[in-house]
Amino acid sequence: MSKPLFLLTRSLVLALIVVACGTAVGETTGPPVDDLPVTTADEFEAHLTALDRPAVVNIWASWCLPCRAEAPLLDQAFEKYGSEIEFIGVDVQDNQTDAKAFLAEFGLDFDHFFDKTREIPNHYAGIGTPITFFFGPGGELITTHNGVVDERTLALNIDELLNLP
Amino acid sequence: MEFTLLWAALTAVGFAWLGTRIWDERLPDHATDRMVGAAASGILVGRLTAMVLQGTNPLANPADILIVRGGVHTAATTVAAIATYLWAAKWRFAFLDATAPAALMGLAGWHAGCLWRQACLGSASNLPWAWAQDGSPITRHPVELYTAVGLIFAAWLVSRLPWKILNRAGVALASAGLVRLLTEPMRPSISGGPVFWYISAVILGLAAVLIGPRIIREVAPST
Repeated sequence: MSKPLFLLTRSLVLALIVVACGTAVGETTGPPVDDLPVTTADEFEAHLTALDRPAVVNIWASWCLPCRAEAPLLDQAFEKYGSEIEFIGVDVQDNQTDAKAFLAEFGLDFDHFFDKTREIPNHYAGIGTPITFFFGPGGELITTHNGVVDERTLALNIDELLNLP
Repeated sequence: MEFTLLWAALTAVGFAWLGTRIWDERLPDHATDRMVGAAASGILVGRLTAMVLQGTNPLANPADILIVRGGVHTAATTVAAIATYLWAAKWRFAFLDATAPAALMGLAGWHAGCLWRQACLGSASNLPWAWAQDGSPITRHPVELYTAVGLIFAAWLVSRLPWKILNRAGVALASAGLVRLLTEPMRPSISGGPVFWYISAVILGLAAVLIGPRIIREVAPST
């Protein structure tokens, strides 16, 4: 009994390794990306103020490992809630080439801005990278999540935005 | 740096240890250590699986493996944890039965660990015990605490079952799936939650109860 089960487990582990190797390095999922528009904190605030719906603003950078980990989740959230909530990315302390490669890899198909000097997260008192800000309509900051956002936190805060009085 | 996940993990270990103290009958040596090792192995496999399914190559991005907040695949974690535990127990299935209540307690501890992570809340509710996030007027179900209570009840229930190969382990797997299934509608989610896997756990758990004793000829460990 034990030998077949042992072989089965070994096969499962081997299969996982093979599947893990299956994705080509540097594979891209989206079309080529244009240069990201450079934006100051004041311009960004004005942009949010003009919005008539809630917004999720994600601060990211191509060199930031946790940003890579949360990118697929943000993409999934945009697919699901993109019609009700504005999703905006802000690339900080980065260069355009790497930023575009990051977006091409993860296919985050919402608006992104370029903020070389971290003016925008500093303006909203965010700490580190990544950060996810949750804004009500008109640009009112509701919640700040510093660090990697997990599915529960993102879903809960989106639900908060959708149920704002 | 955020350490709240570690506090939740420590709560899980504490609850599992407590489970081994309450229901210590027929347990293997170092049962808590084995459970922690199995859980760690499960989380690693679950994280790798989640990365692959999200389109991230773990070999090209090995550091991403450590960022468990990026997602852990529930089913892969469960299968790998059970397989590791069985391997550590020299493939004696009776040890799965002996450990089942403590494992459910460990899971309950993980869910109760939401208190450190401020991640207990689910869908909006006006019930008297519902509470709100800081600064929010919207009160919500403490869904993770419901889950913890459900799993503790399941642990007690499993501990009352007769000793028969895969009887307790099967019911434990089924009840863990059922508790998550029942609480899932109250849990905000982007992906809809792994409902398919919870249903699979219920079916596989019950199948193990029915079929286990017929296909596994094994002497139960002595008390």
